Amino acid sequence: MAKVVFSSWTEEVIDNRGKSESEYQVPENLNIPDNFDGKDIKIFVGWNGIVLKEEGVSIVEACWKYMEEAQKHSCGKCFLCRIGTKVLADILKKLVEGEARESELEIVKKLSVSIKEGSRCNLGQTVTKPILDALEYFEDDFKNAVNGIVKKSNLNYMSQLTAPCMDACPIHLPIPQYVEAIREGRFQDSLDLIRTRLPLPGIVGRVCVKPCEDNCRRMLLDGPIAIKHLKRFVADFELNKKGVAKFTPLEGPKDKRVAIIGAGPAGLTAAYHLALRGYKVKIFERLGEPGGMAAVGIPDYRLPRDIIKKETEAIQSLGVEIAYNTYVGKDIKFSELERDFDSIIISIGAHSSSRMGVEGEDAGYKGFIPGVQYLLDINNGKDPYPEGKRVVVVGGGNVAMDCVRCSLRLGKDEVILVYRRTRSEMPANIEEIEEAEEEGVKFMYLTNPTKIIGKDGKVVGIELIKMELGEPDESGRRRPVPIEGSEFFLECDIVVPAIGQAIDLSVLEGEEGIEVTRKNTIVIDTETCMTSKKGVFAAGDVVTSPDALIRACAGGRRAADRVDKYLKGEEVAPSLEEKFEDYFSKIKVFDPAENIGIIDGRPRVPIKHMPPEERKTSFVEYTQGYTIPEARAEADRCLKCYRVGMIGY
Amino acid sequence: MSEELVKLKIDGQEVEVPRGTTILQAAKKLGIRIPTMCYHERLTPIGSCRMCMVEVKDYDHPVPACMTPVEEDIEVITDSDLLFEIRRNALKLMLLNHPLDCPICDKGGECDLQDLVYEFQIDKVEFQEKLPNKGLPEYATPFIRQWADRCIMCLRCITACREITGRQAIDIVGKGWDARVAVVDEEACKSCGECLFVCPTGALTDKLCNIKGRLWTYNRVQTTCGYCGVGCQLELNVYENKVIKVTSKNGVGPNKGSLCIKGRFGYEFIHSEDRLTKPLIKKNGDFVEASWDEALTLIKDKLTEIKEKYGPDSIYGLTSARATNEENYTFQKFFRSVIGTNNIDHCARL
Repeated sequence: MAKVVFSSWTEEVIDNRGKSESEYQVPENLNIPDNFDGKDIKIFVGWNGIVLKEEGVSIVEACWKYMEEAQKHSCGKCFLCRIGTKVLADILKKLVEGEARESELEIVKKLSVSIKEGSRCNLGQTVTKPILDALEYFEDDFKNAVNGIVKKSNLNYMSQLTAPCMDACPIHLPIPQYVEAIREGRFQDSLDLIRTRLPLPGIVGRVCVKPCEDNCRRMLLDGPIAIKHLKRFVADFELNKKGVAKFTPLEGPKDKRVAIIGAGPAGLTAAYHLALRGYKVKIFERLGEPGGMAAVGIPDYRLPRDIIKKETEAIQSLGVEIAYNTYVGKDIKFSELERDFDSIIISIGAHSSSRMGVEGEDAGYKGFIPGVQYLLDINNGKDPYPEGKRVVVVGGGNVAMDCVRCSLRLGKDEVILVYRRTRSEMPANIEEIEEAEEEGVKFMYLTNPTKIIGKDGKVVGIELIKMELGEPDESGRRRPVPIEGSEFFLECDIVVPAIGQAIDLSVLEGEEGIEVTRKNTIVIDTETCMTSKKGVFAAGDVVTSPDALIRACAGGRRAADRVDKYLKGEEVAPSLEEKFEDYFSKIKVFDPAENIGIIDGRPRVPIKHMPPEERKTSFVEYTQGYTIPEARAEADRCLKCYRVGMIGY
Repeated sequence: MSEELVKLKIDGQEVEVPRGTTILQAAKKLGIRIPTMCYHERLTPIGSCRMCMVEVKDYDHPVPACMTPVEEDIEVITDSDLLFEIRRNALKLMLLNHPLDCPICDKGGECDLQDLVYEFQIDKVEFQEKLPNKGLPEYATPFIRQWADRCIMCLRCITACREITGRQAIDIVGKGWDARVAVVDEEACKSCGECLFVCPTGALTDKLCNIKGRLWTYNRVQTTCGYCGVGCQLELNVYENKVIKVTSKNGVGPNKGSLCIKGRFGYEFIHSEDRLTKPLIKKNGDFVEASWDEALTLIKDKLTEIKEKYGPDSIYGLTSARATNEENYTFQKFFRSVIGTNNIDHCARL
């Protein structure tokens, strides 16, 4: 818990002014780090109020500066915020200089209320909360200022714009802005905004885990904005109307060459950002097509391969080369890449299946197929084991869901999912679980395999044991404990373990000096994204271990930024913008307890799916995109929750 | 298909409207006026002016009536101290960067800002003595003049340029106080004047008619545009028997108020000295003035001669969209029944 002199953050007011430190009251729902980029924060002013960390800081000055910063972010679309904050900034400046009249103090108060209650977006609606707090709790400071008693702190101030969705998005897409562009019918503008950070809107718009929607303020009214589906809409709109996009580099060509290992989401995102800056980029890909795990791990009914190919083609319009079917470590040595390129990004993903550690796993039975391999075969258009008709999939994540749903689509007679905890602990997306249930997958909860049973070299069944939930483990979920003697036999001819993905580091064969962890992840410096070897960077699942696709993209973007700095000979460090992003993430921009206080009743525009009976026999994409009126109506629901956070040091 | 109806109260009066109706539209049905500035029937609600903010009973914060759909059983309050304060402050803020040059503004007398300032009785803006002139560059096409300092940034022009004409020639540039409406794609602008048609103030005016007459000194005569066959309705603004400007009425005619560059700005020919007022006949290589009788007789003789020599189908009649419907009708009748050919066409069909 942070030490504060004063805080009006949210509704909780803490006033420790004049107290000795031992008497300090500590705020409960406040996490504002003391340090930003090596600087000691003396005051933080933001959407929820004022947090004063040091006695004696001039509040009037901070308010003035906050209005000046708000001016830099105000979009200009409504009168109250655009001009109102300018008027407030000017009056507050006069107050700081000791030149303001008492009547002007009244203007500050009245105008602040009008801006708060009348502004078009949440920027205006939140930006005067600290001013009103200051007028209430620091009244004397303002009265003194009117009487010419001036207090200045001459601090340095910096600010950045954020929003709950932007904060939650790993790649920090300008969500309210691109959603508003859709509302206005500016679909290309919307796509261009997305592409300032993310080159894969069609992919992410289909399979993202969408932390943004879990942090959407509209959720507190009548359901979050369908941000993911809107992103897909603009990507599809372009593809249908104009075909594959063509990009032009932002910077002139450079002679420096960058090798990227793996054409998955992280590698493609990094390649895009580097090529935009004029670098020569070559991607080495083990498989015969782009997309990595997105291509071979996600079935076509959720993400058609065509989309991946076209988005990759667009990235290649920047001159990015891709060498397919090239296995670094086998076909070409890592050391050769080091010799031929100025920098390397390793983004190989996590393409192996984790082991279950049960008897029979290594017996080589026909019909025992690890999840990643199972999906790879299916995605390549073949049934991995046509003789098998009764399938047991073990696991509770999205890969397990893909395995069961693909099995149905192959026409298997019976598909059973075995999971050791209960439905509520399942890590898979709830939509995936519900849809698998609709399609007729059988779920066996609180059950775990103990033995794979084979006969004549083929799987004939699986021995399972009943589980119960015990004490919570480090993930916070209750640990499943086997019930002694509850083993039972289940007949089946295919067993697919899908309990997690592992990383295959054979790419580094014969290579020394790159530190890896026990879990086979590559260690990087979080600031520089560099591995323990100079000039070698890493991003995506190989760093984070299996994680969401959008986090891999975010990692790829950061790695590209660091490679750019490294090759330009600049300091390899996060930008100020990134530092603010990380700072805001700690504060948490979304407050699930907030009372929005406006009328609700505009539920999200429904997303149409093929009926379960129809979709379970086909690998055709079963979710339909929005039509233009649907997309514009959905985008119209956005509350535009921009906020400005300012630090003073 | 029957629409789902929603029942609500506005200022104590009950009203039933289809789901999806905005509070503003519902209030209109009851005859309750909520002040607006940026709202325009033909555009997606913009929400920039905050004049139409209303309160809803039992909810903490006001909402814009133009953008908020009605809900079952809500009670809307269209006027309160808070709302009056918000509206008044919004207007005062608009006036901060709007010069009060109404005496020389062509929009004077039909300016929404002028009307609202009058309604809200704003006699002074106490926020600041003076805000610096932004010194914005003047922009003009041959027909449209932008008065940058008069612009209150309601964003109607940007929205109309995008939604009605589909051009996106203008957009917001800059942030905060420095934000302004600017041309972002000069090529895209075709001077159709849709922007000045929707402008509620005198920030965009007709460059041809600058200071030629005041609203209360001229007459507006509704007529049909003669440039093509669409039949757009427009108003000739007539001062001392001269057309000084063309305007159009929102929602009227097939054009609903929109006009193209020709309809809106192509009126100067009316009083051009170069216009032909008498028929000319070419004699020995030169056009010579003639009487109408002489000209018509010549045409009659020549047409008769051709018809007798080569047959009626050797004559082809092409008429103009600049002629009236009645004139066009008569012309084709003349061709079919007097000349005896179906060789008849019209430029608007091509």
